[in-house]
Amino acid sequence: MIRFDIPSEEARLLRETAERFIVDRYTLEQRRKILVDQSLMAKNWLAMAELGWLAAPLPESLGGLGIQPMQITGLLEVLGAGLVLEPLSAVMQCAVTLARALPEEKAIDRLNPILSGARIEVMAEGASGNPITARGDGETLDLAGMSPLVMGGSVASTFWVVVENDGVQALCPVPATAAKVEHYRLLDGQPVARVVFDGVTVRNADTITSAGAALRFGADLGCVAILAESAGVIDALYCATLDYVKLREQFGRPIGRFQVVQHRMADMFIAREEARSMMQLAAEAQDSEDESFRIRLISAARVKIADNARKVQRDAVQLHGGMGVTDELPVGHMVKRLLVLAQLGGNRQQHLERFNAAA
Amino acid sequence: MSDLLNNAEDECFRAELRDFVANELHSETRNKVSQGAPLEREDFVRWHRSLYEKGWVAPAWPVEFGGPGWSARKRLIADEEMFRLHTPPLPGFGLKMIGPILMRFGSEAQRARFLPRILSGEDWWCQGFSEPGAGSDLASLRMRADRCDGGWKLSGSKIWTTYAQFANWIFCLVRTDPEAKKQGGISMVLVDMSSDGVSCRPIRLMDGTEEVNEIFLEDVFVSDDMVVGEVNMGWNYAKTLLEHERLGIGGIGRSKHLLQRVRDVADATGRTNDPAIIAELAVFEIDVIAIEAFTLRLLAAAEAGERIGAEASLLKVRGTEIQQGLTELMLDVAGPAMLPERESPCAEEPFENIAYQFLNWRKLSIYGGSNEIQRGILASQVLGL
Repeated sequence: MIRFDIPSEEARLLRETAERFIVDRYTLEQRRKILVDQSLMAKNWLAMAELGWLAAPLPESLGGLGIQPMQITGLLEVLGAGLVLEPLSAVMQCAVTLARALPEEKAIDRLNPILSGARIEVMAEGASGNPITARGDGETLDLAGMSPLVMGGSVASTFWVVVENDGVQALCPVPATAAKVEHYRLLDGQPVARVVFDGVTVRNADTITSAGAALRFGADLGCVAILAESAGVIDALYCATLDYVKLREQFGRPIGRFQVVQHRMADMFIAREEARSMMQLAAEAQDSEDESFRIRLISAARVKIADNARKVQRDAVQLHGGMGVTDELPVGHMVKRLLVLAQLGGNRQQHLERFNAAA
Repeated sequence: MSDLLNNAEDECFRAELRDFVANELHSETRNKVSQGAPLEREDFVRWHRSLYEKGWVAPAWPVEFGGPGWSARKRLIADEEMFRLHTPPLPGFGLKMIGPILMRFGSEAQRARFLPRILSGEDWWCQGFSEPGAGSDLASLRMRADRCDGGWKLSGSKIWTTYAQFANWIFCLVRTDPEAKKQGGISMVLVDMSSDGVSCRPIRLMDGTEEVNEIFLEDVFVSDDMVVGEVNMGWNYAKTLLEHERLGIGGIGRSKHLLQRVRDVADATGRTNDPAIIAELAVFEIDVIAIEAFTLRLLAAAEAGERIGAEASLLKVRGTEIQQGLTELMLDVAGPAMLPERESPCAEEPFENIAYQFLNWRKLSIYGGSNEIQRGILASQVLGL
């Protein structure tokens, strides 16, 4: 049985700190500067590490804060709504995966510099239907293939590459200097990378085999983080639109006084509440050791949140009228962020299939 | 998909259009249009010239003013075929808006001076209707026109002015009688964009383009002969735009173009045979047929000499819903391939413009009378509510 935790004191503090972080560092104007000068991201990253955000979901035995996923979602909602460009969700996913995949002592060594912000390490996977392969016997493995989209890839020092070797999954650490890293931006401005692993050789000793469960657990946590960010953006679009329809006057009154607008706002409210509920449910399910239960609820949340994000995107722009399609208000930037978030961690279609398969 | 207007004469006309486009349309422009990429001034100017030289640039204009004398049926076919062949849709501010208004309400001198230059493309017109405080409630517009010797002095601003950066003339609705009630006291004036006191600020849109602008007028003088028709009658003239060439506002050609784009994207992602996509596409295709069916009923009425009224608003509502729905379906079909920024080296055809088309075409349900306004028109003028 699922239960919804009231936000703990820790969760409340995380959220408040995040709100302050956005006010201090992420006005739309400051964000434009960060987009031009990526060195500002490095400063923000250290601040995030100092605030304990990277360590939050990891067990205390490994140097983390041992905070449950559900209690971290508030933080991620705020960062999503703030349109931050630093790859927090991606690094959380990687850290949680390593925490599960490595034996404790190795994990502590490996995670320490990640949690302090000194090193950025992220997962890298092949495109769907195009896995990255590893061949070799004995000492070394030769990799072939590429990751078309690595979140945080432009600032990462190590990629944990998910490879297939004769149908068996394994996890190989590849230093960024050893791979071909092509930087580019997504349509919302986020810097990412395409990484080509052809010709990269890794030592067998560094490779983690039988990491399947850890990979799935980490991927689900990454998905929950993305859903939390999405719910945050949906909430921010709802709030901005609600403010706007109260303020904008046409035909001698605020447009929010027209019934057609009221009903659309009511629908947007419903979409926001559904999204937030499903997101929190997914975060709770992340804690469950029953894997098929976890999979079903996280995938259900992904589908629902994708649908509601689409509705809110449409209506937020429409109710803002001409202003809604400009680059000048946060609305347009949030719409773009939702387009990106909808494709990360598996999109609607993939999760619908996974939901059905886990039945 | 097959066309409903397809008798022997229609087919012959379609063939003529296809030949012309094959010979005249610049391949660079065609590629941009087919990929949904942003168009530049040169794309429009070049295509305008080709159509002008052929005598086809103003399909709905009477022959005496330089139109080709096409029937409503032929115009509908041309509209559809031109989209399918990836020709750039020419901005309608001169050809479809101020041109027809001048034919009906303009002075002899205004017609003689402006109509030939609209046809030839020497003048590029933009439209000064909306203001920061007057969008859906257009009649609340406040641009001042103060009487002065020999004319009027204009002050105020206009917004969402498409392609003002290319325009040398703007037609504006201005308030010539501040005492009159809302729709009264508004006049339509023609303003040379190079007049003293006119300035223009581009507005960057969320898709990164700068196709609309804010226009500022500070004590801009317009002489009396640049007022269209009678002073204080401008609202009535603007309203007639609602009756002009309404058959085409369903954008059937644009929808068919998008259906094809979705199929191309499905091919490129190897999802041509995905039953979910096939089913969704079929539903959209049927939606387009429904719009066509309604358009053909209106066409039959028009051919029988009936006046087309406000019911044509449903074409705008459904047409834009279908088109926006197709841009959304295209996002889903493309998946993560549409994520790279358009300028990035990882952006590849046919994916690179998909998200931007989704973003840019949100405007379809906002401009030219938002879909809320269109539904209001249907409710009040057709349903009598």
